[in-house]
Formats: sequence, C-alpha cells, structure tokens
Amino acid sequence: MKINYHLFMIALRQLLNRKRQTFLTLSGISVGVMVLITAVSLMDGLLQSFIQKIVEIAPHVIVSGEKVRPTVPDQLVESHGNTHVTFIKNVSREDQEVIKNYPRIESLIQRDSLVELISPSVSTDVIGMFGTISEPIQLFGIIPALEDGIEKFSKNMISGSLSDLEKTPDGIMLGSSVAKDFTSRVGDRMQIVAPSGQIFSVRVVGIFMTGINDIDDNCYVNLRLGQNIGGFSPDEASNLYIRVNNLSRDGLVARTIEQETNYRAITWEEKAASVVALFKMISGIVYFLVFFVIMVAGFGVANVLITNVLEKVRDIAVMKSLGFKRSEITWIYLIQGIMVALVGATIGCVLGFVLIEIMSSIPMASSSASTIRTDHLMMGKNPMYFVGASIFALIVSMVAAVGPSRSAARVNPVEILRGER
Amino acid sequence: MDEPIIRLDHISKKLSVKNGGEEIVTKILVDISFDIAQGEFTAITGPSGSGKTTLLYLMGGLDRPDTGRAFLDGQEISAMEEEELAEMRNAKLGFVYQFHFLLPEFSAVENVMMPMLARGRASTGEARRRAAELLSELGLSDRLHNKPNQLSGGQQQRVAIARALANSPKVLLADEPTGNLDSKNAETIYKLFSDLNTRTGQTIVVVTHDEHFASETKRILHILDGQVSSDRQLR
Repeated sequence: MKINYHLFMIALRQLLNRKRQTFLTLSGISVGVMVLITAVSLMDGLLQSFIQKIVEIAPHVIVSGEKVRPTVPDQLVESHGNTHVTFIKNVSREDQEVIKNYPRIESLIQRDSLVELISPSVSTDVIGMFGTISEPIQLFGIIPALEDGIEKFSKNMISGSLSDLEKTPDGIMLGSSVAKDFTSRVGDRMQIVAPSGQIFSVRVVGIFMTGINDIDDNCYVNLRLGQNIGGFSPDEASNLYIRVNNLSRDGLVARTIEQETNYRAITWEEKAASVVALFKMISGIVYFLVFFVIMVAGFGVANVLITNVLEKVRDIAVMKSLGFKRSEITWIYLIQGIMVALVGATIGCVLGFVLIEIMSSIPMASSSASTIRTDHLMMGKNPMYFVGASIFALIVSMVAAVGPSRSAARVNPVEILRGER
Repeated sequence: MDEPIIRLDHISKKLSVKNGGEEIVTKILVDISFDIAQGEFTAITGPSGSGKTTLLYLMGGLDRPDTGRAFLDGQEISAMEEEELAEMRNAKLGFVYQFHFLLPEFSAVENVMMPMLARGRASTGEARRRAAELLSELGLSDRLHNKPNQLSGGQQQRVAIARALANSPKVLLADEPTGNLDSKNAETIYKLFSDLNTRTGQTIVVVTHDEHFASETKRILHILDGQVSSDRQLR
C-alpha cells in the first residue's frame, strides 16, 4: 500500500510526545551500532595488520626440497607373467631434502609471469660460539640482494648494513635475539661449528630486528658460505622463496611449481591458515557478544513501542472508527521502529567513526621495529561496517516493532470507546 | 427518499461479561427494527444501560448484531468484513462522541484532516483547505492551529464535529455529544446540529439523555430494556 505522509506524522508526533523514552531508546541503538562498528573495525584491523605483516616480510610461496611424488617408491609389487618383483626395503640413502640444480628450477619457475622474485637459500642447524658463550642457531645462506626483496632486512637493520654482508664473504648478519644472547656487536668475530664438525670463523657485519621472533632468532651468511657450512654443493638449495605480483594468484603459482618441478610449494595462506582461523574464531566470539548489545537495544525499541501503543490505545480506537485501515495502524508503529533505528544508526555511525579515529590515533609503544611501524592501533576502515551495522539495527528494530504494531492493529474500537464512559 | 438511509431489521445483541468463573449474559437489544430516512434528525433516548449506545455502534458498523441485519445506504453492513466496514465508515459516516477524542499531538486543522488523509483519500493540501473551511464554518477560524489542550470543551467538541463532517458523510452519528459540556456550550452544539440538518439536509442520529436536546430534533426513538418503547415524530 501507499504509505502516506499522515502516517509518518502520526508516528513522529507520538515519538516526540515521549521525548525522554525515545531519546533513551535512540541512545541504546546508537551505542549498539557504535560498539558493533568499532568491534568489527578492531578485529578486522588486527587481522589485516597481521596479514599485512606476513605478506610484507614473508615469502608468498616457499618451495622446499620435499618431493610431491616420491621418486623411489617405498614398497613396490609388480608382476610380469610368472615373474613377481617385490621391494621389501628401500635401501637408498636417506636423502637430505634439498632442491638439486636449483638454477634450473629457478629458470623453470621464472617463466611464470606472476613470479616477481626468487631467492634461493640453504638452512643448517649449527652451533654459534662467541667468547665463552655457545648456542645452537639456525643459519641461513642467502643471496643478500635477493633475500632482501623477501624479508626486507635493509629496512630492519639496527646496526651494520646488508650491503656489508654482500661485500664480506665471511660476514654474518645476526637476528636481534641472537645478538642479545651472544652480546656480540658489529665487527666482532665469532665461530660457527658446522654439522660436519668443521669450525668456520665469521665476522658480524649487521644486526637486524623484524619484531617477529621466528626471524629474529636466525642468522644469515652469504649463500656460498652457507653451502660450505651445511655441506651442500653449489647448485643445491634448501628453499626457494618467491614473491608474486598478484597475491590472489599465489595458490596457482604454487600448484604450477609443484606440477612442473615435483618440489613441494606452499603459500603463505597455507602456512598461516591456523592463525588466520584463530583470528576468525575470536572475531566470531566478539561479534556474537556485540550482537547481544544490539538485541538489548531491540528490547528498548519494543519497550517504547509497547508503551506508545498502550498509551495511545484510545487514539488507535478513534483512528479506526474514523476508517483507518488495519495496515495503516500497523504502519504507524512499524514506521516508529524504522525511525528510531535509522536515527539511532546514523548517530551510531557517526559515533563509531569518531571512536575508530580516536582509537587508531592512540599511540602504542611498539614492541618491535618492523617494516610496518605500528606505533598506533591498526583499525580496519571499510564503509561496509557502517552499512552492515545499520542494516542489522534496522532489522532488529523492525522485528521489535512487529509485535506492538500487530497488537495496535488488533485494537477493537468498541471496547475502548465504550470503556471511556 | 423512498429508500431509507439506515434500516435495522430485527436486531438483537447480547453482551457476555466474564465475572470470575461464571459468564453473565445480558440482553442489550431485543429484536429492534426501524428505518431512518435521508435528511432525518433523530434522537435516541433512554435511561443509561438501555442499549442506546450499542444501537448507535451497530448503525455505524463499529459493532455487529448477534441476529438481524443492519443496512446503511442500501448495503448490508452486518455482513461486511472489517476492512470493508472501515472503508464504509470513512466514506459514509461521521462520529461524534461524548468526549472529543481528538489526537492530542495534532492541531485542530490536522485533526480534521485525518479522515480525509486516511486511506489516501485526499492530498494533504486539499485536506488542509477543506479542514480550514469546515472549522471556519463552525466558528473556529482563529483556532486552526491550536492543539486540543489549548481549546475549551465547547471548541474541542466543535473540532470533533468538523472532523466527523470531513468526508461529507451520509449520516452523522453522535453519542452524547453534549454530555460533557456546560449548558451554554451544549446549547451551541444543539444549534449547530439543528442548523446542519436544516441547512444542508444532513442526516443526524444523536444518542442523548438530555430531554431538551431531544426536543430540538425531528424524531425521538425511546429505548427501554433493549426495545423501542416509543417512536415520536416531532415535526
């Protein structure tokens, strides 16, 4: 039906007639919408900053030495006529999982136009020694210029520089945790004990800090030295780190690599899947709690409408006797619910916007230096938060308005008008 | 004027009131039949509790008879659906009650506009013009924008009458319209009804226990114990 102007006027005047109660109801909706928007923004911001951090300083795809299809089957039974062949035990030597002839693999991978950068590395568990301190560390052999494109060391150096590593064949770059443990500084000499027992003397040329413990626990040397220490041949690598130019296609890149090279390739999403899932679960719980804030606001709407219907039952009876349709009476109260929701949501959106701005400007002492210097809280910003929260408030209010408006429509004028005498 | 505007045909109505566990059934109207012709000015009188208000509500399609049939303008209203009745009330009837029953949030002119705006019958501008016209005719041209609580009892009742007349009803039904007024204001209302009837031929049915008011009308139907005890044509 056509909703006429007079229905709006009746709805509005009745609401304005109970200013205080209407105001409180509006406040309920506003606060609910504000809290919802802020919570979504906060959770989204956390997840985004986390992902951004990963994407910024982690390889998008990691190729490792693991074979997708084993080259030598563990067990084989085959029959040719009367001859049966059975493998009982695979006696081949337990292969270290390395990428053999990595330059060839690289050139294979490089053909994919989505691949932006490939950085080969070897990793070895070694013992580091400095003065009287010795400690196990994970040592990576890298090509500094390439690896910098992945892990952004040059932005995270706290002393020395990445180019010094490049220029120093026996140079080593320490993660900040390692440097702290050894109390070593740039220019110090330290010893590395290789798995083979051989001792290498290296010179500290740089210390970096990313803020991610997993990385700050590592040490980096030039690829050639790393290969020597780990007993790799010059064309072997443990991993190939890859950056792609289109993040949404990294899965495709990984699958292509696996098919073409038979080496395992995993994406950062696969690596971080459990953490992202955890984030999503926490967000879910937060949204669930905030949901109740708006539900309570919905009770407020129901309350003000029920009061209006009860107080106006005589006016409703009169309107019906004047010939107002049931649907017209129903609309008066539905409109009240919609009005409260719209005004409340608008105020809530403004408050939410202000709160997000305030929260995102709160200084936060960053525990870590990083490429993303989060010196303040990272809040998600997306117009959909506002649209979503407003629609939600509108739905809750409309649902709250259904009961009162139906009871208004059911008012029997005779009973009410007769009761007046 | 052969076809009566209102016809009640053997109307009966009971009212059951639950009192604790037992149900008390009271016969309010018993087998009532009468016609009201177009242009008549009829008073329904009787002691309180005689069923005269119920009779008025039945004529106005606000209530339904248990048995018998009620007709308005040739249509059987006792057989209509609720929405049809609402439409019919809006188009063909005007109600005035003992209390003014104006919507308190709206000015005099807005209250008079309501029946015209209901169901989207008229545009706002049109309704406003007609409402102002009606109120001026009833001597309220300087009170158009006052809220009901800023008007005297007599003025409130005149606004209510203007509202009842908004859609040019076939019949004006009034239930003790002077019951709540002092004699001076009541006098104004009598005159108003009387004028309306003589000047425009407006059919009016008024329930009253005010003998003086009843004597101003053209016909008095006296109800006693749910039945018509006398039907006097005065003029």
